Amino acid sequence: SLKKSVSLPYQPHPLEHQWTFWFDNPSAKSKQASWGSSLRSIFTFSTIEEFWSVYNNIHHPSKLAVGADFHCFKDKIEPKWEDPICANGGKWSVTLSKGKSDTFWLNTLLALIGEQFDHGDEICGAVVSVRARQEKIAIWTKNASNETAQVSIGKQWKEFLDYNETIGFIFHDDAKKDRNAKNRYSV
Amino acid sequence: HDSDGNANTAKKYSRDFLLKFSEQFSNLPEGFVITSDIAEALSVNVSHPADLDSY
Repeated sequence: SLKKSVSLPYQPHPLEHQWTFWFDNPSAKSKQASWGSSLRSIFTFSTIEEFWSVYNNIHHPSKLAVGADFHCFKDKIEPKWEDPICANGGKWSVTLSKGKSDTFWLNTLLALIGEQFDHGDEICGAVVSVRARQEKIAIWTKNASNETAQVSIGKQWKEFLDYNETIGFIFHDDAKKDRNAKNRYSV
Repeated sequence: HDSDGNANTAKKYSRDFLLKFSEQFSNLPEGFVITSDIAEALSVNVSHPADLDSY
């Protein structure tokens, strides 16, 4: 009976959604190039096994060049303000000191693909941004004005990350008009 | 198959469950194409990305 069980074909574990990893490569950027023109999709995965196969072969945030953005968004949603599903959305952000985002990033990804959020249908994806003095992780959501859903997502995210500082939610609409847009919600 | 995110039908996996698989899948998935513009994002050694497009 042992032999039989060994010969059974392996069944991968399907995820609720397909997700796509995207990479924005700062070295390919020129001043003339418009924002997002160096954005490249890396791979779309739909099982736990595929997730690890990719994750284990990509750089974790601490190894990425300054300026790089790494995204994980639901399939068919582009990580851009202009994407029709993101257009009315916003984002929660966590700011971390240099080299500290790897574990937070992984725990964010696992919470997303494992559908741990009560309002997971509100989520577009997540992005980690590596900058000269800090690293930032954000979760993008669909309907910024749905306060109940956003506050629930923000609170749960902090629990999953075991992060105790206050985090803020910014509407994409505000961010477009003002680089220093104010938080609409905080938890 | 098109879920609206209904919590009762979602395929939920805890962090601990997902982590059980982390060591078992170390090779890039089948069909993964390493192009020069994403090579920088990969931790695998890529000396000539273009040569590896048939990986």
